[in-house]
Amino acid sequence: MKKTSLARRNAILSGRSVSWGALALLFAILALGLRLVAPDLFWQAFTPVFSIAGTFSAQSHALLGGLGDTAKLAASNETLASENAALASENQALQTKLADLSALTADKAAPGVLAGVVAHPPESPYDTLVLAAGGKEGVALGMEAFAAGGVPIGMVSSVLADFSRVTLFSAAGTATSGWVGRANIPLTVIGEGGGALRASVARAANIAVGDVVSVPGPGQLPIGSVVRIDSDPLSPAVTLRILPAANPFSIAWVELRATGVAPMTFATSTLP
Amino acid sequence: MIRRAGTLLTFLSVLFFPWPLTAGLALGMALFEPLVPLAAGLFADTLYYVPHGGSLPLFTISGAIVTAVALFVHSRLKAGIMG
Repeated sequence: MKKTSLARRNAILSGRSVSWGALALLFAILALGLRLVAPDLFWQAFTPVFSIAGTFSAQSHALLGGLGDTAKLAASNETLASENAALASENQALQTKLADLSALTADKAAPGVLAGVVAHPPESPYDTLVLAAGGKEGVALGMEAFAAGGVPIGMVSSVLADFSRVTLFSAAGTATSGWVGRANIPLTVIGEGGGALRASVARAANIAVGDVVSVPGPGQLPIGSVVRIDSDPLSPAVTLRILPAANPFSIAWVELRATGVAPMTFATSTLP
Repeated sequence: MIRRAGTLLTFLSVLFFPWPLTAGLALGMALFEPLVPLAAGLFADTLYYVPHGGSLPLFTISGAIVTAVALFVHSRLKAGIMG
């Protein structure tokens, strides 16, 4: 009789059967075991699930967007179409110039690896991308990842046979060396997670909202722009809030290239 | 029924929805199934956590804390009901 009472007091095992929470925990432990023992198999098993999740996310965004003001959306669409046409024209002119320069310098840049994104920040809160390309496709640790338009977004932090992982510049605890503004003032960009970036510069640098932040790559590549400046009158420095040029929440593919430059380092816990 | 559906929904939200929604669901489910927050946190970190300098598996740690609190509250409530 006493034994029954003790069993009833147990919050994990109910009187009837094993709880759903215990089953869920068992499933999570099995998934963790699979990831540790056979990571390639784990990602192959979960890639279709992530694919469905991505489609679901895109469709729900489209549905919610469709509920907005139609006239406003039409006006916005028209503006975007005209901007797109102007950018396409500018892009064509730049490509022509680039082709001319490449012919002059006989630049033989290493070919990149194009990789589809399996999972990205909305599902991946640690600001990493899981890519459907790994060691077999030529991906190596330390390669730089570029979004559409050649915007650097992060670096390859782990490689499996068929999959790899890119840690974004916005990942919490990462520090990236770069420059800001027309005067190219050096700064260290700190990732804050959730696609957010910040940096501190001297107040005397006179950085303004809209100034471009860039990192070393092949040349100087923009990664975002200053959207807000937080200032404390008692401090000689200001904090810049930086909006990434490529939205990490909607990246579908990236290009990986060995640039030979490592602008990003993982900050240790001893750093602020 | 709530336990089964809630547990499944919490796990699916790890894959389909932004993490704040998952955290909310896991907190809610802690009232019915104390182990769900720990299970969801472990599953989220299994999918997304990247070990590197200074980073911690935050979801597992948060889930474990919520589960510990929920188990404590459940045990006190049940003891109270029995008494």
